[in-house]
Amino acid sequence: MVSFIVSGRISEKYSWAVTFVAPLFLLVSALSAGYVFYTIWGDQPYVVQWSWFTIGDTNLSAGIYLNNISALMVLIVTLISFLVHVYSTGYMAGDEGITRYFSMLGFFTFAMLGIVLADSLLLVFVFWEMVGFASYMLIGHWKDKPEAAAAASKAFLFNRIGDAGFLIGLMLIWTNTGTFDLAELAKVQDIYSWQTTASLCLFCGVMGKSAQFPLLTWLPDAMEGPTPVSALIHAATMVAAGVFLLARVDFLFTPTALDVIAIVGIITACMAALSALVQSDIKKILAYSTISQLGLMITAIGAGSSAAAMLHLFTHAFFKAGLFLCAGIVIHVLHQAQQQAHTHFNVQDIRNLGGLRKKLPFTFVAFILSGSALAGLPFFSGFLSKDAILTAIAGWKGSDFSWRWIVFIAAFIVSFITVIYTFRMIWTVFMGEEKSTASLPVVEPPLVMRGPVALLAIASVWLIVSVNPFHYHGWIFNVLHSGKHFDLGIISFISVLWITLAVATSYFIFRKKTISSELLLNNFYLDKLYTSAIGKPSLRLASMVSFVDRKCIDGFIHVSAYAQVTTAHFIGWFDRAIVDGTVNGIASLSRVAGNMTRSFQGGKIQLYILWAILAIIIFLIWTLF
Amino acid sequence: MHHYLISLLIFTPLLVAVVGLFIPAKAEKYFRYSTLGVNLFQLAVLVMMLMRYVTEAGVQFVEKKSWITLSLGSWGMLKAEYFVGVDGLGMPMVALSVFVLLIATISSWTIDKNVKGYFLLLLILNAAIIGSFTALDFLLFYLFFEFMLLPMFFLIAIWGGARREYASIKFFLYTLLGSIFILIAMIALYISVHDPSSSGQLVHSFNLLNMTDPTNFISNSVLDPNNPWKIGPLDARLWAFLLLFFGFAIKLPMVPVHTWLPDAHVEAPTPVSVILAALLLKIGGYGLVRIAFPIFPEAAMHFSMFIGVMGVISIIYGGLNAMASKDLKRLIAYSSVSHMGFVLLGLASITPEGVAGSIYQMFSHGLVSALLFLIAGVLYDRTHDRTIGNYSGLSIKMKSYTAIVLVGFFASMGLPGFSGFIAEIMIFLGAFKSNSVNGLLHESLAIIATLGLILGAAYYLWTLQRMFFGPYDLKGNIAHSSIYDLNNREYLMLIPLAIAALFFGIFPQPLINFIDPFARNFSEFVLSTGKSLTLNP
Amino acid sequence: MFPIHHFLLLAAFLFCAGLLVIIVKRNAIMVLLGIELMLNASNLNLVAFNQLHPAQLGGQMFALFVIIVAVCEAAVGLAIVLRIYQYYQTSVPDEISELRDS
Repeated sequence: MVSFIVSGRISEKYSWAVTFVAPLFLLVSALSAGYVFYTIWGDQPYVVQWSWFTIGDTNLSAGIYLNNISALMVLIVTLISFLVHVYSTGYMAGDEGITRYFSMLGFFTFAMLGIVLADSLLLVFVFWEMVGFASYMLIGHWKDKPEAAAAASKAFLFNRIGDAGFLIGLMLIWTNTGTFDLAELAKVQDIYSWQTTASLCLFCGVMGKSAQFPLLTWLPDAMEGPTPVSALIHAATMVAAGVFLLARVDFLFTPTALDVIAIVGIITACMAALSALVQSDIKKILAYSTISQLGLMITAIGAGSSAAAMLHLFTHAFFKAGLFLCAGIVIHVLHQAQQQAHTHFNVQDIRNLGGLRKKLPFTFVAFILSGSALAGLPFFSGFLSKDAILTAIAGWKGSDFSWRWIVFIAAFIVSFITVIYTFRMIWTVFMGEEKSTASLPVVEPPLVMRGPVALLAIASVWLIVSVNPFHYHGWIFNVLHSGKHFDLGIISFISVLWITLAVATSYFIFRKKTISSELLLNNFYLDKLYTSAIGKPSLRLASMVSFVDRKCIDGFIHVSAYAQVTTAHFIGWFDRAIVDGTVNGIASLSRVAGNMTRSFQGGKIQLYILWAILAIIIFLIWTLF
Repeated sequence: MHHYLISLLIFTPLLVAVVGLFIPAKAEKYFRYSTLGVNLFQLAVLVMMLMRYVTEAGVQFVEKKSWITLSLGSWGMLKAEYFVGVDGLGMPMVALSVFVLLIATISSWTIDKNVKGYFLLLLILNAAIIGSFTALDFLLFYLFFEFMLLPMFFLIAIWGGARREYASIKFFLYTLLGSIFILIAMIALYISVHDPSSSGQLVHSFNLLNMTDPTNFISNSVLDPNNPWKIGPLDARLWAFLLLFFGFAIKLPMVPVHTWLPDAHVEAPTPVSVILAALLLKIGGYGLVRIAFPIFPEAAMHFSMFIGVMGVISIIYGGLNAMASKDLKRLIAYSSVSHMGFVLLGLASITPEGVAGSIYQMFSHGLVSALLFLIAGVLYDRTHDRTIGNYSGLSIKMKSYTAIVLVGFFASMGLPGFSGFIAEIMIFLGAFKSNSVNGLLHESLAIIATLGLILGAAYYLWTLQRMFFGPYDLKGNIAHSSIYDLNNREYLMLIPLAIAALFFGIFPQPLINFIDPFARNFSEFVLSTGKSLTLNP
Repeated sequence: MFPIHHFLLLAAFLFCAGLLVIIVKRNAIMVLLGIELMLNASNLNLVAFNQLHPAQLGGQMFALFVIIVAVCEAAVGLAIVLRIYQYYQTSVPDEISELRDS
């Protein structure tokens, strides 16, 4: 099992050497991850510790804490990282920064595994920041693009803001318990008042990393990075780290903290889903949809079901990575075709695309599969995990009407919108008439790019969650749920009520499915439906939300940045004028005094004598009288 | 043999400097290589010391020779000794000094104006720095402390940039003011302390270790802890602490008295900036830990909230100023102010974590700031322009340089994996814990200080974005031909620093082995002595 | 025998005259002359006070010493003035401003 960390490290160190070595190492680590997963799954947590450093009475250790959640994450991270590595050998071929790219990708995988495996919160924080650094480097990979550099800085800065909260949370926890160790912390049974503050501070870190409201705007910008990076970091793994962290320390959270988390989660989910409806850049649609899905996971955590959140994380990682890689294929092949045909238009803008199903049949199928999972159609993994989340929220909301019902309804609305934007995307890209692409010599990409996509698309079907396509109590959920060590007792899942609710939920999703499949079949009034029934109001709402997103949140950030710079300028002025001025004033005062006294010493000997005699006379007069 | 290791460290550069006086100024090579030789020799001595050092044993490699003994009749006896030694505080600082001075010599290779004078001054500076990190006699410390000023003044005033006179005089005046504060406190201490080892006769001594023991104070003297004089609203002991504190805070520098630093840094030649940032600032922090806190523990406790607040103000204020700077070196200088604020914050907490964090921060900042100033120097050597706005997209032309800059900036930001992170996390923990352990600092200080981290990220990232990313472009009068990547000598000075910053970020234990026993004893001593003294009316 | 205060008054007059010469005259030689006058005034005082102790010769001895010292001083002083005159072509100290900064 330790070899597994080693392989992570090796991949970090050597991947720059040869492009083909990197995926190979990742394959090794993925295989060992599979072995780890197999041995640890459903078993007791596995803990290894080494002393990192000792200071005062505190021993800060570094080690591995492997339980079910982390084993699952390890599998996700290594598998998707491996697939993305393979894919990248095709996608990034010919890029001049390819060695840097692969070394950062390897470093990212290493740091991400660090988060997943770390046994203490401090270590999690360490890797947490390292992941942010890797993300910074990868977003800014094409560094001569000013937008990429700006997006990278923005991403790192937003993360840093969240991390400051994380750090405060760490300090709170340490002051009150004297340890960062997860296993030790898990023994804290009673609910203390500091826990609310501490857990909300930790959640600040999660907001930054998982792009939750109000720190969500960096993620769409982060799409300036290479597409495989978006798939790996900004869809499947890094942004999910927040959800993972919450699931890992769920024993710390108090009911108040959970309520706040749920509200933040659902606000994010709604805002992002609505924004996704009106985006025209294919990667931005996917980014907003990622944020929205993350919001759902966070809501599930807030509703007390980290198992449901982890399940959705698991399925989401596969289908969203698949979607991104498909989008990557579209962008990549169109780019190449453009270079051959010497034309230029924005290949990421879906309004320029259309009818690609004929030219890219493979990608089309893969996109459909992954997209259906995203939309939550039955027989796909997304259906089951979303079902789990909705059920969790339904159980959590209670029978009496309260604000929790609003969350519940909003969650349904979000999944509803998800379907719409997914099919809008599929429709405009692959169906309909060919637009700007008509004359381009588009061909399917090489096998190294198609293979990973195929795997991910296959992984979007229901079988990876459970055998029964309408019931998510498969192998993952059961183990995670029973494997939870501490139930804060917010919700008790009363199974009977729960199953009825689940049926009701499935029924609701069914109905939605008929709508969307109707849309799929009757492509004629899709546009009409868009514009009249859902389109206009949601468009207006969406543009409003997008406006809020751009103007209010970004604007606030800008204004505060300007204010900061202005303050900094003012302080700089203050520094020069007042503080320095005082110093210079003292200096010139002493110069004036010096000039005055200097006039007594003009080098005229006789004047000296005169002064001396005068002094003596004055002295004599003074002493005698 | 190993009894004389410290003297070897101090006097070898002096000896070589004296010999150098008689070598004609034309033999430039001699001066360069003899300085380098001295540095390498010191490195060898340092390795011997590190091998013999026992981490739990307190002060080691002690040398004690009588230096000035003067009978003053009824006033007792004046006794100053040549008393040197290192402990968990001095050892890391000496190691840092030797290492950074070596790097500074390598980066001095480009100096070609009055080579003889430059390298002789560098050697004198070298001796003075190591002397003040090892002296355990207050008079000896003060001597070395003042001794540093002179070479520094000339190094800035002769080899500096355009406004070098202004900067050097500002530096000199500021530091002299601090020295005067320290001198007053030293004289008061000298009057009040007697040497317990000489019975019968009243012997005044400058021994720092004697000064820390409250029983060595002469009763009814100025600073008698049991019955101190009152000057104005405060005890004389509190005044003396404040004098020492401000004296060292100017060197540190703390915010209202920091404005010499940006000017001196901007005008000083690169190697001098490196020494200034990496070593001279540390002497301020070193003085606080070695002299001000243990001698006046109750005053330290009394003022700890004040010190903590000043630290936080330094952090935020320095960060904001760095963001507004248009000059790369000025930005780095202000970031130093911000980082040294963390040292104050950690010290003010008087917890083992906070104190160890402060010392670690001094060490780490020594490495990182040296790296950053070398980075700025590399660019300045090529283009003679440090305005951030005049560059864009440098990463395209200078790939390895950009990589080093990334390392330096992120290390300075306190990214995990670099030494600054370990230091900052320890300081945060110490400062945050302080309220529940000894009630000295409020938690909010640590929380506000985290803003400094965000600011740090903001100004470094913004600089990266403006200077290194985006399309390649130069403004102002910069020749395109002057932009080329690092050469071997520059690699030689940059890489060791980057590796050291990385090493102490991943494996902090080797350094903490030195610091931790000291920090534990220190905080325990200050707290217990401080409490026992305040209980007495 | 004259009463002692006559000598003292004469000496005081001589001393003041010498002082005035030192302060007022610009030429270095005149300044030296003034110094001589002052020395002689003190000599007069010494001899006059010796009247009070006729058995001892301390006053006269001191006066002799002063005369010898004055001779030496005058010799050295004149030599210096001479050299300065040769070098600067002036013997007025105010005109020699080599070391002044402005």
